[in-house]
Amino acid sequence: MIFKKIFKYSSLVIILSVGTYLMWPVQDEKYIPEGVEETCSSTCTPANVKYNIRFVPGGYYFPGIAPAGIGQPNKGFYEVAAAYENLHPDTKITFCDAMARREYLVTQLSSSKAPDILNVNVEDVWPDVQKNWYVPLDNYLNNPNPYIPQGKPGSVQWWDMFKFQAISRGKLAPNGKMYCISYDMIETAIYYNKNIFKKVGVKIPKNWDEYEEIMTKIRKAGYTPIQTVVTIYSDWGIDLFLDQLYYNILPGIDLVKDPVREKYLQGYLDWDEVCFLFKKGFFTRYDKRYRELWKLLKRFRKFSNKDIATEDMIRGFVRGDAAMIWSSNLISYRFKADKDIDFDWGVFYLPKFTTNTTKYASGVDMCVIGGSGAQFEISNSAFSDTGDPKTSERLKRVVDFMQFITVPDQYRKVVNERPLLVPNIKGVETLPLLKPFEKILHRRYTTTKWTYTFDLKFSDILERMLLLYLDDYISLDEWIEWQEKNLESAYRRFTRKKHPDFAAMEKEWQRLAPIRKNYIDMPELPDKN
Amino acid sequence: MADKKDKPFISYKLRGALVCYSIIIIPILLLGLFTYLPVFWAFQKSFYDFEIGGISHFVGLSHYIEYFTTDPTTYISLVNMAFFTLFAVVVRLSLPLIVAKLIISIQSERWRHFYRILFLAPIVVPGVATMLIWGGMIYSSQGLINEFLRLIGLGNYTHAWLANPGTALIAVAMVGFPFIGGFEVLIYYAGLSGIPESVNEAALLEGCVGIRKFFLIDIPMVLSQLKLILILTVIAGIQGFEGLIILTSGGPGYRTTVPGLMMYFNAFSFQRFGYACAVGVILFVLIFTLTIINFKFFKSAEELQATK
Repeated sequence: MIFKKIFKYSSLVIILSVGTYLMWPVQDEKYIPEGVEETCSSTCTPANVKYNIRFVPGGYYFPGIAPAGIGQPNKGFYEVAAAYENLHPDTKITFCDAMARREYLVTQLSSSKAPDILNVNVEDVWPDVQKNWYVPLDNYLNNPNPYIPQGKPGSVQWWDMFKFQAISRGKLAPNGKMYCISYDMIETAIYYNKNIFKKVGVKIPKNWDEYEEIMTKIRKAGYTPIQTVVTIYSDWGIDLFLDQLYYNILPGIDLVKDPVREKYLQGYLDWDEVCFLFKKGFFTRYDKRYRELWKLLKRFRKFSNKDIATEDMIRGFVRGDAAMIWSSNLISYRFKADKDIDFDWGVFYLPKFTTNTTKYASGVDMCVIGGSGAQFEISNSAFSDTGDPKTSERLKRVVDFMQFITVPDQYRKVVNERPLLVPNIKGVETLPLLKPFEKILHRRYTTTKWTYTFDLKFSDILERMLLLYLDDYISLDEWIEWQEKNLESAYRRFTRKKHPDFAAMEKEWQRLAPIRKNYIDMPELPDKN
Repeated sequence: MADKKDKPFISYKLRGALVCYSIIIIPILLLGLFTYLPVFWAFQKSFYDFEIGGISHFVGLSHYIEYFTTDPTTYISLVNMAFFTLFAVVVRLSLPLIVAKLIISIQSERWRHFYRILFLAPIVVPGVATMLIWGGMIYSSQGLINEFLRLIGLGNYTHAWLANPGTALIAVAMVGFPFIGGFEVLIYYAGLSGIPESVNEAALLEGCVGIRKFFLIDIPMVLSQLKLILILTVIAGIQGFEGLIILTSGGPGYRTTVPGLMMYFNAFSFQRFGYACAVGVILFVLIFTLTIINFKFFKSAEELQATK
């Protein structure tokens, strides 16, 4: 009896053990390129290493992986890190994969456990800057990059190394400090299927009216004119359309001229200006340009795919069901490698509005709405040695590494390893596939980045409700009412926190009154009496 | 002398009481520390602009005023919450009771046992898994409903059920259909089993059988169970938002958003902990008020008898 029991249980244990062994996940072999030493994890840091810099390079540059599963795995940052470690034997670079999710960042940063160099959209950093979680980089950017020889851009101030000054400097936080370096650039464009264009007999449009005409023809031919998703409208669409409608009246409503940024961001409307203008009736039901903006956006949406909320917009274009897709330069790389794409494709930028499109058309070319791709910030972990950024030696080393990765010879190894993102460092050439996007990036920068003007709650409401408006679930009046409430709520939160100088703006507003007299349809608030 | 020596320093009665108090003091302290203290702390923080790692600023009633005046999500989220709660109350008070009655009506004890297990088994499936199953296998574009519609030639009626503003609210409410699994069936079954045999026999003699008996005898006899389920359902309806995060994140738009979800978003996505605390306090007041109303006006059979 006892033997029977022993046999029963031991066979069960054997079956479970063998099953566990067979089912145990196989660990992927780590890719380390030839000639590059394997980087250590923080757990095996050699004894002579004084500074272990934890760096989040982001998905496109993370060494050892092939973005979008195309081509050989990345090796650029391995090489750059190896070069830096050779130069500074007391330093170790550890690559970390960190989520850009806000919940993750908040928990890591509040406990000073975040990697030293993060890669997140700097707009997500802004709400936390007063907590000392991030290091302002102005002092370093205004001083020379020690790795640049005399006479070269960057030898006087680090800032000079960056190609796209307006976009890079446009990342200034609401407190007037710069928390990121814009490592590379990303821009959007319309990708089009040349075969469909030829078949339908249409050409690249020169203005918006032509654009709507060709989209109508394409639709009549049985194709979806353009593939989009809702975030395109709430981010890029609003900014472009708003710029087209308000550009002409900027001289009368641009109330704050930053002595430094104005050089690069001419007429850019900051958050405090938007707040002030809102109280003057702009961006409300009394602003006819504002109503026009939403009408035009909806008119454009009618040419797009049926489901802009959940559908994979790329699929329709790749299958040849849609003639165009509005996307960023990142997708070029994928399209080029996609063997299933059996048609020629090209890119063009969105054409300008004319007075036929709307009477408020400024007649200027569409502006740039793209911007920084990888945005590197230094976290509070970097000065964990002393707890004070002013006295921290560790922070100096982290900044030094950031400066090293922007040196053209090092930078090229990373950014030009594959044609994904446009280089933002002078002296580093743009790869041929990305040339059209580089050309677009040299245009004038947008009037305002609406999505990032206020806080995360404002953006959340904007995006969610815009979908309902664009898909006819709420009317234009309902949508504008939502936005008014959203803006009012954001305005109150903003003024409670930041205390903007509205008195100075009011003075400038009065001074610019004669200019505004020449503009049509300026918003007029109803008389409260 | 001897008497004095034998007399204990603390009387046996007092000693017994002290032992009891010393045993209960630990759970009370833990309860205070981990349950009541956070509630008071949240109440206090609702008057502050408070963010993790940031400096708190006293803002008084600003958050409450903002919630009721300028926050555009307040009204729609309260309406959604009322809809979900009412829907849940109706289905959870009725359908499981019918199932429990059907089970108890089965003559064979063996089959009664079988059905009890059958209806109780879904309790072991975690709520998150249930939501993922509904989101991924039933409502998705290749899910059960859409595939069935395609199969019977009604492909035009396929929907992104959770993404379509017209269907999202009802699609979320229908999760868990047919609402007869688990806890409620068990509670009602226990209640129905507790009806004295003499009552059943008397009803039979009076000719009160079938549906008539169900409404006139059974339901009044399980009022205390109904009251319990009602309170729990209302609390869950007002507090619950975990399923919504998984299924819709409150969208499309704010069509499936509830105040609890906005509390979560404000705290962890928008970094407005003070405001989130204010929303939490409002929800607490709401639940507390409804529970008091429930206790006051919804009397169980025993309570009714006691008042008589």
